[in-house]
Amino acid sequence: MTIHPLFPNVTDRETHEFFEAAAEGRLVFRACNACDHALHPPTAHCPYCGAWDTAWRDAEGTGKLHAWTTVTHQIHPAFPAPYTLVVVELDDAPEVRLIGHMDGAPPLVADMPMEVWFQALPNGPTLPQWRPAA
Amino acid sequence: MLDDETAFLGRDKCAVVGIGQTAFARDSGRSVLSLATEAALKALEDAGLTVDDVDGIVRADVDTVTPYSLAAALGVNNLSYWGDTGPGGVAPCMMMGLAIGAILSGQAKTVIAFRSLNGRSEARLGGSGQRVGAETVGGFGTYDEYYLPYGLLSAGQTFALMAQRHMLEYGTTAEQLGAVALACREHANLTPHAQMQSKPLTMDEYLSARMISTPLRLYDFCLESDGACAVVITSAERARDLRKPPVLISGVAGGAPPDRRAGMMFPVVTRQDMTDLGGRRAGETLWKRAGLGPSEIDIAQLYDCFTISVILQLEAYGFCAKGEGGPFAASGAIRRDGSLPINTGGGHLSEGYVHGMNHIVQAVRQLRGEADMQIAGAETCLVTGGPLPVGSSVVFRKAS
Repeated sequence: MTIHPLFPNVTDRETHEFFEAAAEGRLVFRACNACDHALHPPTAHCPYCGAWDTAWRDAEGTGKLHAWTTVTHQIHPAFPAPYTLVVVELDDAPEVRLIGHMDGAPPLVADMPMEVWFQALPNGPTLPQWRPAA
Repeated sequence: MLDDETAFLGRDKCAVVGIGQTAFARDSGRSVLSLATEAALKALEDAGLTVDDVDGIVRADVDTVTPYSLAAALGVNNLSYWGDTGPGGVAPCMMMGLAIGAILSGQAKTVIAFRSLNGRSEARLGGSGQRVGAETVGGFGTYDEYYLPYGLLSAGQTFALMAQRHMLEYGTTAEQLGAVALACREHANLTPHAQMQSKPLTMDEYLSARMISTPLRLYDFCLESDGACAVVITSAERARDLRKPPVLISGVAGGAPPDRRAGMMFPVVTRQDMTDLGGRRAGETLWKRAGLGPSEIDIAQLYDCFTISVILQLEAYGFCAKGEGGPFAASGAIRRDGSLPINTGGGHLSEGYVHGMNHIVQAVRQLRGEADMQIAGAETCLVTGGPLPVGSSVVFRKAS
């Protein structure tokens, strides 16, 4: 049985730029040009100031670890257990938290510094991933 | 949010007059339409009504049984109102709102609200371990493309992240989560139809059970069940002439958290306060609409997809302060002899998982005085719906 990974839909009209940037090795988030508020999940309209003038910005690619869970009960063949899901808060925009996947049960501490890396899925799109900062 | 309590026209104007359910099982061996039909017929029989009285049917958005299919299977000839609400387990409480709206606006006189699922044998929520992944996930406004490709796949993993934050911020412990599991199990042990009726659970067994997604263990997760529940709602005035003592719907309210995020369940991880539920806002509105507060609630059926969701809702609805849900649960307050007995039939954790609808059936049983594990003197009951991404809630009251 061939096990396919779950590829993200990279054609969504609100989010495709996130994956296009990842394929170029860049991490981006959406923000409002009028009020500077980060918008995540990204929306074309800023609910904070009402502007439609929103755009993608480059992020430094650093953050801090907000939460994590080690999955020990496998529920999908593409994700053998154990693995750990990390929730990382961007240093540039604390309103934005992104998910990362780490194999096994690595030693982690709340608020530890994290850095992005880019995982090209075999024959598929690229995902921004996270690991403890060097 | 509703600031003027007099603006709510529905207080005590409608009542649940009939309840029905199928057996809860791991494999019903039947279609979900067959289950829904049985539950609805039992609810009508309980009310002393017939299919000829029914003119409205409401359901959850994720139910595969439609109102018109159920009407066809029941033989309803006068269907003139139907509606869907949700998402998912948020639906049952909001269905009470749909029913009130239909009845008070004259669009229906007698409404069936139902939920039917083969949640174990056919459509398991959160993954079965059997399937092969679809190639492409998310998009089309779901925002799941930010989550599923990483292996964040289920409600259980999402609530595990929320539980971890609650532990980090407030010192909540595994034993406090376990107190919720044990209370629900004790109540199921006294409820003959509960799936876990014959299986006691000790704290040692809870703590030594296998981890599913840290910090949540096996017994932090609700059951997966096949089954259906249905209730019949009509005006309080008509209810007085029917077979059973009416149980009034005093108030109903939904609520969204102030840190709103597009998408479904997973974006909760990006809320600045991951453990602030929409239920907190729902509760603020609910108490005004119902004309009472948490101190006047005798019993509660709190949506227990996971033990942590009970602890978060004890805080959200004002039974204790933020961060004190764990000690509150561990104090014994939520047990049958406590100040706020919860999930008095065993709840989703130990009675069965009918996606919130069995909580409404249980509330009505208690307020009629006909529950298996009857709480003496129970006159008011809070029922809450699924806690993500928005909250929903109802206060039921025994008619005086």
